[in-house]
Amino acid sequence: MRSFLYALLPALAVCSAFAAEPTDAERLFTLKVQPLLAEKCFGCHGDDPEKIKGDYDMLTREKLLAGGEYFGSDVVVPGDAKKSAIMDTIRWEDPDYEMPPKENDRLTGEQIEHFAEWINAGAPWPSDDVQLAIREEEAKKEVTEDGMIVKTSGGLGDEWTFRRYQPEKIWAFLPLTKPSLPGDSTGSADSTNPVDSFIQAKLDEAGFEPAPEADPRTLIRRATLDLIGLTPTPKEISDFESAWKNDSEAAWTSLIDRLLDSPRYGERWAQHWFDVARYADTGGMSNDYERSNMWRYRDYVIRAFNEDMPYDRFVIEQLAGDELADNSLRSRMEGDHAKFVKARAEGKYTPEEAEKMIATGFLRVGPWDPAMVEKAEARQLYLDDVVNSVGQTFLSTTMRCVKCHDHKFDPIPTRDYYRMYATFAGTQIAERTVPYTSEENLEGMEESKAIAQRLYDYATKEANALRNKRETAAKKWFKEHGLEYKDNDARKDLPDEEKPPRHVGLSIDEQGQLKVREQDEWIWERRLERYEPLAQAVYNGPDPKYLNARKLRMPKDPNIKDRPENFILTGGALSAQGEKVQPGVLSALGLPVEGAGKDDPYVIPEDLNGRRLSFAKWVANPENPLTARSIVNRIWQYHFGQPIAGNPNNFGVSGKQPTHPELLDWLAAEFMEKGWTFKKMHRLIMTSQAYRQAAHHPKREYLAAEDPDNALLAYFPTRRLTAEEIRDSLLAITGELQPSNGGLPVMPEINMEVALQPRMIQFSLAPAYQPDPTPERRNRRTIYAYRVRGMADPFLELFNQPNPNDSCEARDSAAVSPQAFSLLNSDVITDRSIAFAASLKEQASEPAAQIEQAFLRALGRKPDEIERKRLLSYYSDMEKYHADVQPESTEYPKEITRSLVEEFSGETFEYQEILPAFENYKSDLKPADVDAGTRALADICLLLFNSNEFAYVY
Amino acid sequence: MNPKFPSALPFTGSRREFLYGLGASLGSLALTDILASESPLSPKKPMHKAKAKNVIMLFMEGGPGHMDTFDPKPKLQELHKTESKLTAGLEKGFKFYVGSPFQSRKVGNAGLDMSDQWIHMADPEVADELCNYRGCQAESLNHPEALFHMNTGSRLGGDPAVGSWVGYGLGSENQNLPGYVVMTELALPQGGSRNWSNGFLPAHYQGTRLRPEGSPILDLDSPSFKSREHQRRALDELAALNQKHAAANPQHADLAARMENYELAYRMQMEVPGVIDIDSEPEHIKNLYGLDNKETETFGKQCLMARRLVEKGVRFVQIFSGGWDSHDYLEKGHTSRIRSVDKGMAGLIKDLKRRGMLEDTLVIWCGEFGRTPDNNKRGGVYSIGRGHNANAMTMLFAGGGVKKGSIVGATDELGAEAVDCVHPIRDVHCTILHLLGLDDNKLTYFHGGRYKQLSQFGGQIIPEMIG
Repeated sequence: MRSFLYALLPALAVCSAFAAEPTDAERLFTLKVQPLLAEKCFGCHGDDPEKIKGDYDMLTREKLLAGGEYFGSDVVVPGDAKKSAIMDTIRWEDPDYEMPPKENDRLTGEQIEHFAEWINAGAPWPSDDVQLAIREEEAKKEVTEDGMIVKTSGGLGDEWTFRRYQPEKIWAFLPLTKPSLPGDSTGSADSTNPVDSFIQAKLDEAGFEPAPEADPRTLIRRATLDLIGLTPTPKEISDFESAWKNDSEAAWTSLIDRLLDSPRYGERWAQHWFDVARYADTGGMSNDYERSNMWRYRDYVIRAFNEDMPYDRFVIEQLAGDELADNSLRSRMEGDHAKFVKARAEGKYTPEEAEKMIATGFLRVGPWDPAMVEKAEARQLYLDDVVNSVGQTFLSTTMRCVKCHDHKFDPIPTRDYYRMYATFAGTQIAERTVPYTSEENLEGMEESKAIAQRLYDYATKEANALRNKRETAAKKWFKEHGLEYKDNDARKDLPDEEKPPRHVGLSIDEQGQLKVREQDEWIWERRLERYEPLAQAVYNGPDPKYLNARKLRMPKDPNIKDRPENFILTGGALSAQGEKVQPGVLSALGLPVEGAGKDDPYVIPEDLNGRRLSFAKWVANPENPLTARSIVNRIWQYHFGQPIAGNPNNFGVSGKQPTHPELLDWLAAEFMEKGWTFKKMHRLIMTSQAYRQAAHHPKREYLAAEDPDNALLAYFPTRRLTAEEIRDSLLAITGELQPSNGGLPVMPEINMEVALQPRMIQFSLAPAYQPDPTPERRNRRTIYAYRVRGMADPFLELFNQPNPNDSCEARDSAAVSPQAFSLLNSDVITDRSIAFAASLKEQASEPAAQIEQAFLRALGRKPDEIERKRLLSYYSDMEKYHADVQPESTEYPKEITRSLVEEFSGETFEYQEILPAFENYKSDLKPADVDAGTRALADICLLLFNSNEFAYVY
Repeated sequence: MNPKFPSALPFTGSRREFLYGLGASLGSLALTDILASESPLSPKKPMHKAKAKNVIMLFMEGGPGHMDTFDPKPKLQELHKTESKLTAGLEKGFKFYVGSPFQSRKVGNAGLDMSDQWIHMADPEVADELCNYRGCQAESLNHPEALFHMNTGSRLGGDPAVGSWVGYGLGSENQNLPGYVVMTELALPQGGSRNWSNGFLPAHYQGTRLRPEGSPILDLDSPSFKSREHQRRALDELAALNQKHAAANPQHADLAARMENYELAYRMQMEVPGVIDIDSEPEHIKNLYGLDNKETETFGKQCLMARRLVEKGVRFVQIFSGGWDSHDYLEKGHTSRIRSVDKGMAGLIKDLKRRGMLEDTLVIWCGEFGRTPDNNKRGGVYSIGRGHNANAMTMLFAGGGVKKGSIVGATDELGAEAVDCVHPIRDVHCTILHLLGLDDNKLTYFHGGRYKQLSQFGGQIIPEMIG
């Protein structure tokens, strides 16, 4: 134990309370039973005399023994736990009286035993003085059988502050030391990958054999999906298989190198980051406003992965890149404040500075909208979200629980929550002027802008016509009343008699239409901001006067002398200000803030500038026990489909404990030693035998019984492809996938019913979803697709693309029947099958050869004889079928009529919306465009896309 | 099957045999074993004796004014257009009281209050079945957060919906239909599908939306150039392909589940059109639900569909009906909204009752919050409407073991705040679960390191509501 683990003790007055040495039973009561009573029972049976449940008060021994409405004096029989009715209730053996009633509060076996032991010992209840003395005596001991005390900034009460933790439960908060490798079992220690030493040691312990090595075709598919999220091409497979025959080790390492060098690698691994960080292009909530140029943060993350940016730098830039950029700009301006302010406003950043500024998109990525919320509450919503997200993302720590009280399980006092909260209290969100860098892709801006401009102009034209109509009527009214005309704004505050009725001259329908058009004007006006060099970023300063997510800009020179006051908010309520807090970090980790004072090393200096940077450096400090463990656990999870510590967002006591704690620590230490690089970690993990083993095991029945979750990794875990892997691989297999270098979000074709269905936003309907007019843009990888919080792509959503409002620590992959509908019947899948068939027809002339190519491209293998025969017959049957059926050609609407129930009237009104994207739409190949043979072949393609062999990776 | 349609080659015997006939070669983890084991949607026994088996929840999106529907406030009529000093709500500046544009009267033998716009609901056959609860309080003044709260127990959205929890607790009686069905207007309510999401519960429990136009379930039907026989043949070919793969990967249990899903999808394709085909209903039933009138048709159709779904064993049906957000033009707005739902709701309750289904079907009518007794000026004029009110609302319950013909709880004389039998939304949720034989404290799911429950941290049952 390091020195931070000592009992922080108030100078204790010498206790004279011990008339006699307390008995073991008294100690048991004081240290074990009483805290349980307080935590689990008094809530309903003592604390509030007005609200005693079942007439049973447990606050004193006398009352406890007396019983209540349901149990009499047999509730606790001193000296005889067996006869005590309370034992049945706390064991949940009496279905009518299961206490405490909540699953979460249920007592553990050990706690129940403490109760029994105490009752058997006569249920002694020492006086408060004796209890205090026992507790104080106990607090002097650093480590007892109940565990250790963790020094923190202190809880709201001593009981919390001095509570004990079992070290293995709070493993993640304890310092990280690199474990030595387990004793080698094979005698060939030098050549063993350290990963395998740890995995093998556990297998040996359990008496399991590892699975044999997987075959090369399985391995290349596994590795390719893992690193770039696409299935391998037939040529990649055959090249690899030949290389494997020559030298399997060399083939394997060069495969890994090739994949890691591919720009597709960043596209795949950035997706993992976004699952956790919750990337979306809009702000969510009722307005769901676009966050212009959020894509710059998306591309920053992709680049960071491709360039193998060290993780510590990646952390610091996302948390405090704006401070780094502005510090750098300031020093370039040689201390001339006015010059600095001007340059900052104009966005005179170097590409390196711009990159860091863009990185702070992380702090803007959560759902947030201050509409209809008081400003103070809106700020609280933002800060709570940031604190929670930073905790989950970088520290694998759930902060949400600590908002209202000291953590129930982890050594995190609510004070530390509000210290972290204070760290971000001066962080203001804004679209900042940041020049585009040469690495950013600006193609397509003109075309996209032209569409947005058309939509804006249309909304304005329609709105103007309605406004003119209203004002014409208003003029008439003023004239008739002999009054001077005043426009809509100017007449607002006049008394009712001196102005025309509101909406004068407009029918109920027109009133509704005007509201829709005016909302559309905002939406498209905001969309046009996309084409300006803005970045979703942050700055330091006081809370702005108004908050409106429609437009958040940085003041020219915010007052950085501002010192926001922060308090512990009791129960999380803004109105319940408790003790004042300073900015700070999590004290339980025992890692001081760089440059902090000695009296409280976990507090960050109050200067507004530098708060976040201090915090970021503390997170990225190699001595921080959580950071490296957190990220290597995630890396492992994405390789194996299962993490080492089972809840990657929660390393706390309530999260699943690691299956291989030494391995996790070893990897974390190794990761930092090797410069925090992802790519080295990938190589290390992927070159292990554990990674290369087969997904089946000769003794699978035995293992299914002994290790049903495959926690020990006796074989490689199977997983279903993610939503993005399915869509991207389909496009790649059909030959439709378009390479991209990032930039403006692309609009893939989605289910047209959903694209055009009305979607309520704050005051009206959101505009229809319009796909990009050309396949070159819309058939790009899913990570580049426009992510709207209020409207998921139904195809991706079905395949468990996570909702971007919550951090997703692990993807779900439950098979539900709507997936089958989508993968069999949707236009999206029909188009892919037609495109694939058409491409196969070009590749080969005979059905047999076409089917063979289809298998190779979709599944990476040739069909066997039975399959070949069967599918040839299927082909010829389907060719006959399709010869008699002519598909309808696809029409895309250029305009739609929408209807909305108007709040004014409760009646439905209609309006027209234009869809310029469909005016010069280059559609994908459709069933009606191809002959019966192609459609028959497409039926076979569809089979392959639906097959389990395609859906799973082994 | 169309005799002219070429069917799959070598297999004879039933489909099931075909699918699972190779089980013997698959070792002990044969597909049939997996099939025999419980599916996540198999019916489960309630935790205690249940009063209700199914739920139909009618959700009035936007927030109906309690004083304009079921909780009259004559005092407001007196104070109409006089200055209000109330501070709750989002409206700022000068505020004035708004009297309800409607008269209210006592209806049925039990004497429940209803504004005179309610005609069919006022029929004693319906009114005396109702429990009007006036004590519920929301926490959010903004639509999506309040909708999430009422539908999922959490303001943040993303947690499992009530219907998902119920499916998780009780399973579904019909394996060919989704256990939780949602019907909306063409426009989705604010917050969209997160109002019926399964959250952290397994995806089997998510609400399935029956769309009012176009395909009732997205991509339920094959493209028009593919016939039903074409689809069947494709599934048979797929099964053959999957069969070989399953034989080569005996360790992989998910394969069977995914194969079974394609068959379930096929059965759903057959079953869903039948359930939603309300043309088969006799005229008098259609008229009972108001299908004979353009104003009442949309909602009435959905109510009728809800009955048919529940009849077929769907556990939880939810209907969203929007347009209640009357900040202005209250009279027009609420008149039209009430008219659109009055007949369908009343028809539903009558029909359930006559079929003996009301006893174990809990019908709920509610919004995400109530409305304020006052309003501010809009565009400088007295706008006769109401703001959002989280402190008071009105809810109706019928069937499923609630206390018939009762008014539970009360709001103050202005309708600003609930004052009697006041409970947060979570208590209403606990009560709903209780009626279904589920205990919120036991209906938990371990996620992210703790046992999660619908009420978040536990709640109370409202005994006054229970019959």
